[in-house]
Amino acid sequence: MASFQHPFQCLEYVNRQANGQQDVLVASAGRKLYTYSAATGQRLDVWPQDVDSSESAATASTEGQTIPEESKNATEEQSEQKKAPKKSAKTKAPVWTNIPLMVVSRDSKHVAVVTSEDKCIRVFSLSEEGKLQQLSSRTMPKRPSSLTLTPDGQTLLCGDKFGDAYSLPLIPEGYVKRAEPKPRNVGIPAATPLTVHTKRNLETLEQQKRTAPNKPAPEEKEALNFEHQAILGHVSVLLDLISASVPGDSPDSPTRNYVLTADRDEHIRVSRGVPQVHVIEQYCLGHTSFVSKLCIPSWAPKVLVSGGGDGYLIVWNWRAGQIIQKISLNKAVQAQDVIVRGIWEVSLQQTAGPVNAILVALEGCPELLSFTIEGDNTLKPQGTIQLSGNVLDVTGITSKGTISVSVDTVREASSTEMWKSSPSASQTLIESFQVSSSPGTLTWSPADDSMTTEINAAGTTDLPASLDGKDKKTFDDCLYTLGNLRKMKFDD
Amino acid sequence: MTTPPPVKRQRREEYRRELAAQQASGHGDAEVKLPQKKFFRQRAHANPFSDHQLEYPLSPAHMDWSSHYPAFVDADPSKTNLAGARKLTKDVEVVDIGCGFGGLLIGLAPLLPETLMVGKYYSVQDLGSHETYTYIIPGMEIRISVLEYVTSRIQALRAQQHRLKAAAASQNPEAATAEVNKAAEETNGGAQQAEDAGTMTSIIPGNYENVAGIRSNTMKFLTNFFGHHQLSKIFICFPDPHFKARKHKARIVSESLNAEYAYVLRPGGLLYTITDVEEYHYWVLRHFQYGTDEDGEAERKVGGIKDLWERVSDEELEADPCVQVMKFETEESKKVTRNGGNKYVAVFRRKPDPAWV
Repeated sequence: MASFQHPFQCLEYVNRQANGQQDVLVASAGRKLYTYSAATGQRLDVWPQDVDSSESAATASTEGQTIPEESKNATEEQSEQKKAPKKSAKTKAPVWTNIPLMVVSRDSKHVAVVTSEDKCIRVFSLSEEGKLQQLSSRTMPKRPSSLTLTPDGQTLLCGDKFGDAYSLPLIPEGYVKRAEPKPRNVGIPAATPLTVHTKRNLETLEQQKRTAPNKPAPEEKEALNFEHQAILGHVSVLLDLISASVPGDSPDSPTRNYVLTADRDEHIRVSRGVPQVHVIEQYCLGHTSFVSKLCIPSWAPKVLVSGGGDGYLIVWNWRAGQIIQKISLNKAVQAQDVIVRGIWEVSLQQTAGPVNAILVALEGCPELLSFTIEGDNTLKPQGTIQLSGNVLDVTGITSKGTISVSVDTVREASSTEMWKSSPSASQTLIESFQVSSSPGTLTWSPADDSMTTEINAAGTTDLPASLDGKDKKTFDDCLYTLGNLRKMKFDD
Repeated sequence: MTTPPPVKRQRREEYRRELAAQQASGHGDAEVKLPQKKFFRQRAHANPFSDHQLEYPLSPAHMDWSSHYPAFVDADPSKTNLAGARKLTKDVEVVDIGCGFGGLLIGLAPLLPETLMVGKYYSVQDLGSHETYTYIIPGMEIRISVLEYVTSRIQALRAQQHRLKAAAASQNPEAATAEVNKAAEETNGGAQQAEDAGTMTSIIPGNYENVAGIRSNTMKFLTNFFGHHQLSKIFICFPDPHFKARKHKARIVSESLNAEYAYVLRPGGLLYTITDVEEYHYWVLRHFQYGTDEDGEAERKVGGIKDLWERVSDEELEADPCVQVMKFETEESKKVTRNGGNKYVAVFRRKPDPAWV
């Protein structure tokens, strides 16, 4: 019986022409990472190797080469202790089931990903042959929801589901020794009879005082054993975090860096770049539901395009917090409950010069909307690209002047939960399109290239078609997370 | 068959219904009584992370202040904000975050004259013949029941003031002026006592038209109400201490929230904190990266949030009447005084934004 193939959750084109190396495509599907030659589509590497059969792959390879022997042992011991009770004896596969976030460093030499369940940021080097080697793995305190790099490419920024964001060096300079837990008033309640008064509270306090000295010290919140800085926090779920760099208007005025964050409570916050993220410069307020995606085109850095759960794309003069344009998506797509899944900027090489476009995908929707940015910084709708399945991720193959779109092979188009009745013989994991432009208009047409054919033919890993409903839902929830962000209505 | 609600709740609902009806009808000839707190009790904690059914403006330019401060609505009806609401004659500059039962609002209402901008303080009397400028002070509160109390309390106070003014005007205009001056002197003492007794006997500058309670979760939505550098004072009085370590993230003072307070506070503006929990006091200092951390951790960071704040000296606080109100007139501070507790005050001044790096 045929199986589904895990669709590509993340897709990134890596342009390495500046390094004189072949271009590659890096993609994540299920719990694995793949690299492909962008020219031929030939698979270059898979990480982790044979995870399903071997128990060692995950744990052994998680520790980077840069760790000094001593602390390596320490970390391994700890991770062993931590994982042991959770992991049942049967499953020796990696603790994560999917890789939802991926960024490629600006020098094209490194790939950083987040593995979901273990909340781990893993940085890989990308060799000339397209091989991946894990350099570091850093476990974050909460599950990361966004990952990006600063404009200088040296620092990773990571936002999490608790609304906090951290900065950490892309390449850690070795592990920071965990600080000795401080004997910080262990067991002594902060409350006193002067601050609590009710009978019940006083009784509890008495009881705490009696038992405190005997109780083992409460587990200190585990300090992170690597260099990091908490840079900002929202009292909300952080849904996107991007960094931006705006050149000065005159040669004298310097380039300024920013960090932009979007949350579930409709906010877009504009802060200064690292290390001054605590200085908030602006809020862009205008969405009426959560904001799931932010995009500042590299070729139009003064424009921000944002989208989320309210059915509108908003185009901002973001440094002034001003709305330039609101575009209704309900008109563009015949669907209720529209949620923006992704906004991508692409700059595609053509003979006549680069063609710039903004591409927008909606959650569980087999259409890709395209826009150009006009002289007055408004978006102009261009053609809509129809795909065989829901759009998951998009990447611009700049050197070829095409885009590649990863599509959901498993679910019916337009549904985030209805699986196809049976896997088709040939499963389309990615589709590629080329652009042709005449003044003011973009036209997209399917690109017939060997890369796409080869990648689709090779497939990823099998995903059994015979799963029961609960298991299916687990997979659905990995790929389609945005629907759960709507606010519940309840009485106070 | 449904069981009827408990007697206590029935009484409470009945009381509130009557009160609302009374206030809506303008009290008729009856004496205006202040609401009784016992009918508005609510559990002391609210979860700041949950999706309460909150109403909040899309942005500060969409906030309708006119319904909260009818006395300050601009006479020109064509002046409206982005939501189409009438504008006020002045912007909100002072805010009480977590106003509770409203003690600070009532205490501050008559106390903030125009010259009180930054650093130097005058009382109403010092202004002499100058027209009194009153700050509009919203109190933000997340607990719905408590907010209802504040709202009816302020409504009742305004109604009382209205009557007193009317009575004074019909008797003798000069006496009325004298009454105002007297009231100003009594602000901290007599008026407050009279208010506790249920009725106000004197006219208060501003007539409580400048204070109001607003339901909000400021941890999430402060910047929906207030714009960049809009405020000159923020008060955070006796915040929920969230004693348990795993609840610390719900505390209203934290390094990341301090960045938001810095955004809405203009350079030179002040953020006041007071708590009766010593551990919380040190928490506050730590999260402004100030002072006396017992671990010597405070000096570890260069830059950071400390770029934006400096702690105000004790001498300066001595001279600040707001600190007195905070220490002795909020509901919680009275309770702490009654129980012989300690009060820890920390005030921070917003520094100008640091140079870009």
